Amino acid sequence: MTVAQPIYRIENLAHRYNGDPVVAVDRLDIEPASIMGLVGPNGSGKSTLLKLMAFIFRPTQGRILFDGKAALPFDESVRFQVTLLTQDPYLMKRTVFKNVAYGLRVRGGQEDWARPVHDALAMVGLDTDIFARRQYDELSGGEAQRVALAARLVLKPRVLLLDEPTASVDAASSELIRAASLRARSEWGTTLVIASHDREWLYDVCDEVIHLFKGTPTGTGRSNMVFGPWVPEENGLYTKPLGDGIRLTVSAPPHADATAFIDPAAIRILDSGAASTAENIAFVDGTVTRIASEKQSGHLFADVRAGSLRLVVRVDESRLAAMTLHRGWPVTLAYRPDSIRWL
Amino acid sequence: MDFILAGFVEAIRLLFGGDGQTWSAVAATLKASSGSMAASLIMGIPLGFALGYLDFPAKRQVRLLVDTALALPTVFIGLVVYAFISNRGPLGEMGLLFTLTGIAIGQTILALPVVIALSATAVESMDRHLRTLLISLGASRRQLLFSSLWEVRYGLLAAGLTAYGRVMTEVGISMMVGGNIKWHTRTITTAIALETGKGMFSTGIALGLVLIAIAFVVNVCLSFLRKR
Repeated sequence: MTVAQPIYRIENLAHRYNGDPVVAVDRLDIEPASIMGLVGPNGSGKSTLLKLMAFIFRPTQGRILFDGKAALPFDESVRFQVTLLTQDPYLMKRTVFKNVAYGLRVRGGQEDWARPVHDALAMVGLDTDIFARRQYDELSGGEAQRVALAARLVLKPRVLLLDEPTASVDAASSELIRAASLRARSEWGTTLVIASHDREWLYDVCDEVIHLFKGTPTGTGRSNMVFGPWVPEENGLYTKPLGDGIRLTVSAPPHADATAFIDPAAIRILDSGAASTAENIAFVDGTVTRIASEKQSGHLFADVRAGSLRLVVRVDESRLAAMTLHRGWPVTLAYRPDSIRWL
Repeated sequence: MDFILAGFVEAIRLLFGGDGQTWSAVAATLKASSGSMAASLIMGIPLGFALGYLDFPAKRQVRLLVDTALALPTVFIGLVVYAFISNRGPLGEMGLLFTLTGIAIGQTILALPVVIALSATAVESMDRHLRTLLISLGASRRQLLFSSLWEVRYGLLAAGLTAYGRVMTEVGISMMVGGNIKWHTRTITTAIALETGKGMFSTGIALGLVLIAIAFVVNVCLSFLRKR
């Protein structure tokens, strides 16, 4: 039996801007035709990593293997294989048709681009008869982003990298962009790598979700990332006020602004008000806002809002029958402060 | 006031009556300016692109030099070119003094900093997303260069137009290097200066009208290009 070769293999990759490290990935494999999600706060290096994977510029250090071969910007082995859609809707100063056909034109060959351009625009919900002749500045933000996506889809790329593709568009455009991206995977086996702040969407559609923090992958799957500052308490523990008098108690952080990672599997859901005085256990009250199963693992997760914070909790399925769990239900969460990881 | 009105009437007669001297000056102007514009665009756009796009040591100093050259007085350029191509100068043997080629060389020196500086500004104002977009759609290095230039085409047009305006309206270079020789190196501007000095307002006004008409035609052509 042969094992499929990863379409991407990243080895000892590091990128710095003016000497400051932005991305540092020791090793990362991406399987062909998979969907990988990238989550992380602003400035965590998602965009830089995607640009490196799109071979827009050379990394400061390390290498990216594509189909098993190390590749660099403008290499013939990657030029027509990978394409990136950036967050801001950006088009060239030409008509919609010329924008969508640009990638076909640089590939040379056939001259009749009307059909593929029509199909690509249709995929993102735009009528060719209405939009093809419009100038780049005669579109709304959502339409411009859909045209930008059509310019990528028309290429039937092997890899489509999406950098927060729906961050600056309206809800309807956002739905169309998501649907069209997923269709590329199902129709052509396109590998998708998606950076987004919309974790729910990523957990629903991705085969794997990677957390990026300060340019480094810090874990996969669902996770809770809680930012400081932390306030010291008398008992040697620290807290973060979440509003409504609710506090999140944590172990001593390495510094006041450290970021805490709380494993969703390390949190238990109790009936509301079931907090006890057990030692080494912290409690926080919240309300269930969503229950979903994760595509990758099949585990059941509940989103719980505690004051201003949203925590993801893995639901212990053996206890599911004994629990009342639905949207809007008040619960108490229990966890061990010493189980928190710090960054 | 009457002499100005009479000048206009005479100007129309000179232009549409096919006055040889008037049209000779127009032809000399078009020949010299076409040569200088071609040379300054061919050299200036790539240099301007490099100055705006690339990062290299002493970039700011080069930019400062180019910006200073924007203010070069035409009489000074005329003086320098004259010194180089006169019989005593290093290029004296080429016989360029009092020729349209000599005028074109001087006008190229006048137009080049304008083209370089304004092209560099246009390239610098290019959206930072453009490079990412073009590469991610599969553009090669060459396609990246030409597509980037096409994206800033309006800025380049403005650079060319501004340089053309300076070249068409300068007097110093044409007068000093060309010598204002009738039927040969007399351009529109040197003819206007001469005719006005002689009190021949009609010829001056006629030539002035041609100058404005040329500017108008060039602008109409460019606005047509912009719409495409």
